[in-house]
Amino acid sequence: MIESETKSMSNRSVKVIPIAKKKKRKFSTEFWMLLPSMGLLAIISIFPFLYLIYASFMDFTLSFDNPVFSGLDNWIRIFTSETFWASWGRTGIYTVVGLLLELVLGVGIALLIYSLPKGRNFVITLWMIPVFVAPVVAGLLGRFMLNSTYGLYDWLLGLVGIDIQILGNVSTSMPAVILMDVWEWTPLITLIVLAGLTSLSTESLEAAEVDGANYFQKLIYVILPLVSRAILVALLIRSMDILRFVDIIKITTEGGPADSTKIIGYYLMEVAFKFQDFGTGAALGLTMLFVTILLGQLFVRIMLKGED
Amino acid sequence: MKRNKPFAFLVFILAMSLVISACSSDGEQSIDTKSKNADKINPDKLVEAPFEGWVEGLPQITAPEGFDWKEFEGVELNLISENTPPSSAIAANIDQFEDVTGIKVNIEQTDLSTVVEKVSLDFNSKSAKYHLIYADPYQILAKQSEHFLDLNQLIDEPTLPDVPGGLEDFSQAQLEATGYMGDKDEIFALPYDNPTMVLAYRKDVFEKYKDLFMEEKGYDWTPGSNMTWEQYYEVAKWITEKAKEGVITEVQYGTGHQAKQHDSLMNDFSNILAANGGDYFKKDNLGNLGSTEPGESAMDSKVALESAEFYNKLLKVAAPGSTSWDWSGVAEGFAAGNIAMIPEWHEFSAMFENEDSSNVAGKVAWTVLPKGKERRAHMFGGTGIGINKYASDEEIKAAWLFTVWSTSPQAQYMILKSEQGGSTPTRNSVYELADVKAGMEPGSPESKEMPNLLAMKPTLEAWKEENVYMRPKIPQWPQVNTYIFTELSKMLAGQQEPKETVEKITKQTNEITDR
Repeated sequence: MIESETKSMSNRSVKVIPIAKKKKRKFSTEFWMLLPSMGLLAIISIFPFLYLIYASFMDFTLSFDNPVFSGLDNWIRIFTSETFWASWGRTGIYTVVGLLLELVLGVGIALLIYSLPKGRNFVITLWMIPVFVAPVVAGLLGRFMLNSTYGLYDWLLGLVGIDIQILGNVSTSMPAVILMDVWEWTPLITLIVLAGLTSLSTESLEAAEVDGANYFQKLIYVILPLVSRAILVALLIRSMDILRFVDIIKITTEGGPADSTKIIGYYLMEVAFKFQDFGTGAALGLTMLFVTILLGQLFVRIMLKGED
Repeated sequence: MKRNKPFAFLVFILAMSLVISACSSDGEQSIDTKSKNADKINPDKLVEAPFEGWVEGLPQITAPEGFDWKEFEGVELNLISENTPPSSAIAANIDQFEDVTGIKVNIEQTDLSTVVEKVSLDFNSKSAKYHLIYADPYQILAKQSEHFLDLNQLIDEPTLPDVPGGLEDFSQAQLEATGYMGDKDEIFALPYDNPTMVLAYRKDVFEKYKDLFMEEKGYDWTPGSNMTWEQYYEVAKWITEKAKEGVITEVQYGTGHQAKQHDSLMNDFSNILAANGGDYFKKDNLGNLGSTEPGESAMDSKVALESAEFYNKLLKVAAPGSTSWDWSGVAEGFAAGNIAMIPEWHEFSAMFENEDSSNVAGKVAWTVLPKGKERRAHMFGGTGIGINKYASDEEIKAAWLFTVWSTSPQAQYMILKSEQGGSTPTRNSVYELADVKAGMEPGSPESKEMPNLLAMKPTLEAWKEENVYMRPKIPQWPQVNTYIFTELSKMLAGQQEPKETVEKITKQTNEITDR
């Protein structure tokens, strides 16, 4: 590529040749400078990834030291397992409902904060507090609030005649853990969208105002299209994160009752670390990685399409 | 530069090979168990150890003459344990051990499933990050026994301190369950705690409404050795109904259970299954020494089905929070004063008698669990403490000193009296002490000082061979246990019938055990 460019350019000017040589040397230096970090990346990232693929074809259940080649056994086991598909089904519900709620609330609150005439920084700081709470702590908070003996929410529901054990009931346990996730991560969406809003050009908004657009028209036709990329970035980050989610479920329901909150991340943890079946765990992990990449690619494509 | 590339690549490959081979080093080593100054030690004469807290009547911690208790000064040990009262008491009093030995002990306490995960990863990496392991017999020891040090090497070593009072001072059934795996050739752990399920009930409620119940149902309803599970159900249902009618005001529900999708659910159900003469496998005595070949599941039996049907019926009259409670959750519900009776681990007695955390202090009585069709069965949940065999020789010997001290009669007595809630001793000799015997009597000053003793009379009864139930000690137990409590949870949620539940447990169990 560089050579052909050099040739074509050399017809116009012979001085281009030394520049091309310089470029080549520069690339070479960069390569060697990057090599240590690439090597490190290979050790901490690529090697485990390759090992994961290797592990998914091995049986670790008898001995961790001397795993036995088991062919497609682990893969067949997971694809024929009811729990696997049911866990993915719950993960789908968890992801879609969680992301939708976080998106609607996150964007809505970002717009509210953006419209504040003053005190914006103070409100953002308060609103962001849940993000700084470790997910395990968020789970503990949820567990205490919903505790049927001394939980505040349980007591409040009791006052209005609702006597239901939220974390002990199949129909309410999943909504409860989704809401805990929403409580913790909606502020992150708000922050990202707010960053997009503050970088908006005021000219477009002023032009819309001059044209007589009301707030909702400005929102639909000006603001949201302009912050759509920020929203996509927020969704990209959260979607990849939400698929790996286990902390709150581990603390609150441990996958129950009746497996109603056993999403794929928790199932993987159970198989790999509780059952110590690292081979099947590796296969499960690869399916999660595959879906995460697919979802990430989807959002990236949407973003690139918007750019075009 | 070009000429250097192959060389650099070769160096890189070599370095990677070294890294991988270092990582995969198996860490196997022969252990030198002798004391450093073995030549100056007289193994024929035992000398008392300089630990404080020994009381007359207990076997003393001793070492052979010439043994230096500071021999391992500066060694740092890591102990991982479930967050249970004995470990809290040990942590609160660890100065006693550290001052005498100069060994630093870091105690990490977490929930059992995290202990299982961390120990498993540590064993498999052979890095010996944890030197001392809370060796749950069913979730850790059964699967990982090959990674534990055979303590016989240290017990038989004449230049090191011996087990005070000998292994005979432990309950032999508890020693078998917590210390061995498969046979008695090697011993991997010494008994460290011994929680056992018995029945806690509100004596104020049972006394106040005794006549009313007698009038309606025609028998004395006081929980005790004559009560059957069917009667338990009837009493629980009656209390819940009377509480709804406003007749009973002290409690809201007759019974509460630890029926969360959790290990606790299997424990709770097992009391009924075993009382009816059932078990999880057809092979006998899997709970004592354990086996790597458990054979066929016994959950397809008529007894298992009847037990599941009864448990499903019982939970319908239990406090609704039961399906979200593990053992701590049901204890909180009982301590809050909402429930009249619960099957619970006996070491929760201290919590119920603590006025800071309980509304029922002074109102709780303990008795044995109800009888089933065959017998009375009480789930045993004891654990041992073992040593990671991949630790260095020095760490192993330092860990042995800790094991000797923490399982000694005097440390067990200290744990019993601890303000951290304590636990009940694993040593027979402690129960022979006059103040310990007195503490079993409600209202005695000793029972106020050692509130866990209030549950000891039924617990001692529960430990008898004919009354205790020990779950199968098999390597596949984590999976089998999960199948049991998951399917039972589905049954309690109304997603499947008891018949389908026991069939699914049988099928999944047989698959994992290749039957």
